Amino acid sequence: MRKARQLSQIFFLFLFFFLFLQARFPYERLLPSDLFLRSSPLIALTTFLSSWSLETKLVLGFIMLVLPLFLGRFFCGWICPLGTTLDFSDKVLFHSKHSRNKNVATSFRACKFVLLIALVVAALFSLQLVWFFDPVVILTRFSTLVLYPAFAVAAGSIFDAAFKLGIFEDQIYTLYHWAQKTILPVTPPHIIHGLPVLLLFLGILALGLVGRRFWCRAFCPLGALLGVFSKYRLLKRKVDSSCTSCSICYEKCRMHAIADDVTSTNPIECIECGECVDECPSHSISYGIDLPKQNVNSNVDLSRRRVIWASVGGLLGAIFVKTIHSGTEKTASVIRPPGAVPEALFLDKCIRCQACTRICASTGGCLQPSLAEAGLEGLWSPIVIPRLGYCEFNCTLCGQICPTGAIQPLTLEKKQQLKIGLAFIDQNRCIPWRENKDCLVCEEHCPLAEKAIKFDVREVRTNQGDRRVVRFPYVDENLCIGCGICETKCPVLGAPGIYLTAQNNQRIISVS
Amino acid sequence: MQQFTRRQFVTTATLATAGSLFPAQSNDTRARVAVVRNGEPPELVRQAIDMLGGISHFVQPGQSVLIKPNMSWDRLPEQAATTNPEAVAEVVRLCKQAGARLIRIVDRTCNRAERCYYRSGIEKAATAAGAQVRHVVPSRFVDTTIPNGSLLSTWPVYKDVLDVDVLINMPIAKHHTIPGVTLGMKNIMGLIGGDRGDLHVDFDVKITDLNTIIRPALTLVDAYRILRRNGPSGGSLEDVEEKRMVIAGIDPVATDARAVQLFGLEPDKIAYLVQAHKRGLGEVDLTKVAVHDYSF
Repeated sequence: MRKARQLSQIFFLFLFFFLFLQARFPYERLLPSDLFLRSSPLIALTTFLSSWSLETKLVLGFIMLVLPLFLGRFFCGWICPLGTTLDFSDKVLFHSKHSRNKNVATSFRACKFVLLIALVVAALFSLQLVWFFDPVVILTRFSTLVLYPAFAVAAGSIFDAAFKLGIFEDQIYTLYHWAQKTILPVTPPHIIHGLPVLLLFLGILALGLVGRRFWCRAFCPLGALLGVFSKYRLLKRKVDSSCTSCSICYEKCRMHAIADDVTSTNPIECIECGECVDECPSHSISYGIDLPKQNVNSNVDLSRRRVIWASVGGLLGAIFVKTIHSGTEKTASVIRPPGAVPEALFLDKCIRCQACTRICASTGGCLQPSLAEAGLEGLWSPIVIPRLGYCEFNCTLCGQICPTGAIQPLTLEKKQQLKIGLAFIDQNRCIPWRENKDCLVCEEHCPLAEKAIKFDVREVRTNQGDRRVVRFPYVDENLCIGCGICETKCPVLGAPGIYLTAQNNQRIISVS
Repeated sequence: MQQFTRRQFVTTATLATAGSLFPAQSNDTRARVAVVRNGEPPELVRQAIDMLGGISHFVQPGQSVLIKPNMSWDRLPEQAATTNPEAVAEVVRLCKQAGARLIRIVDRTCNRAERCYYRSGIEKAATAAGAQVRHVVPSRFVDTTIPNGSLLSTWPVYKDVLDVDVLINMPIAKHHTIPGVTLGMKNIMGLIGGDRGDLHVDFDVKITDLNTIIRPALTLVDAYRILRRNGPSGGSLEDVEEKRMVIAGIDPVATDARAVQLFGLEPDKIAYLVQAHKRGLGEVDLTKVAVHDYSF
């Protein structure tokens, strides 16, 4: 059973990264790149509750709730890419440190249910926090903001070093080109706020110090949700009469789902990894179909008092976050990607998975995760940073890849008319205004057929006293759609001579 | 290979200086500039190259060739912001026939490279024809001295330019706000590193400086479709005119000068051509150049 499980885990981890790598221009795909995100019922549930609207893409998440009714937490043991990562890191990093600690074994179990309830209650009060805790989001975000950029930088330096050697240049060039077509980006992603994401991920890995799969056992709210639905699972762990009560399975169980009597199993905690089947010296353990019956060891570790505290916590958290540091439409200087729904709804729907950031890095590269720019509630939500990249005129990929409809999928025609901001010229910095010399880089790059940057052509007297005709750029507010390429390409160093603002930002309610 | 190339550069630079002292005079009967009309892109370039003496005049067996099309923008071929992919593919095939050891295509784009390479159609067409279409690798820019530079003394140049035996410049004829038009001499900006925005200030002098060190053996101006307004990126089909022409030449200044006329402009009113002529890069006065016409 272990071999089969490990194969399945490796397959799904590869599938996860394969789909991750599909998220790039031109995004010609067999399967949607956000498939794993869509299949998380926790994302579907909380997004539905917080935004009170059901995105068709998320229906798959609800369907996935059928799975635990039959197979229990099969997803956690056999599919979850973060679970696989943790199994791997537990084994490699903390191999010798694991022994069953009676206190830790079960006492933190309740946390994940508390967390689940708090998340659901907060979502009901329109605060979406699932993005901090959902395992698929955590791995997607970490891969986008840390792992892939680091991989790109590392691979890039290796190729740079190989080029410097000056031998086999053609072959290296060809290899690099092939890599750029498949696993490497042509333009390395430039992510500015990767550190907190890295720290969160390392924190989750470090939980392995406490015990194997400690994150899954103690905190993962998706595991909690699947666990609740697993209570009457049909696929069960069975122990036959040859059992000698040696307790090896009890010791080895990474989820501590086996009760002290060794034979009964907690279906809410068991992830069906099959370790007990393989470890049993008397081959007494098997997994098989059995009709639901009342199981003595199947209660959720949750008292009524805790349920109430969790609910109150979720509610207070929602109020706290919304009052203590909330970005309002007017003060927020953030520019959202084209197709973004109105700000309040955007924050309800966006799960900070960074799928948009990832695919944007392969086309215009304007999207970055926010830190404090959009308020505390808006942490890690995608914002346009035009100095680093621009919104590509011919691109609609962020809306296509967004799993929750926070960014609506637009037709190219609609996108090319949609205003996400407005550019302003800083006459103190802009070269023609400052130096009385033609520059016009912004105009050259303006993607509109009728350029939104126009010129005031005037003869001026320079500081040296000679007369000269200079083209002074200005922005036509009616034409500018706020793609920001003018700011990206402005040759002025530091603060640009032309900059994008959220003025004129248009939001989409729904494309349908 | 590299030594040879450097020597070639020195020779070229010396000749360029000499050229400014002595007006170009040639007893050669071949065209210096060929204007071909009324054809499809492949036959247009084929005919133009024939009129300039045939591809074997430019590419010897075993040589390496770098083709520089304009694929700077995320546009489709119909939008006339990028060089015609079929024309590029035909040049690749001709170079192959001439026995080129290696045919490479690069461009440092303005929009994202992956989008430009893909949507211009050039990556696909040229790869199918046998070229190595490669993305620019930032570490492969080499700081290069410009011995006869007027404002620029050094600038990073892409290593492939320095390494290859033959450079073929394949711009598309477009409107551009700064020089008025963008043709061959401006197209070489896709082969340099650095902050190109800086070049826009005192553009005429700086582009001439760069053209003193990057010297294509052959310039083929794609005028199958030209962009008359809102260049260099365009976008509206209303700004595109189907000319069904190619203008090719050995003299980069004369070739651009002839192509300028497509836009109803006078070559001697285009500041960068006047500058380039003054600096000895070629002839701006078309009455002094053998311009041959051909129409299908």
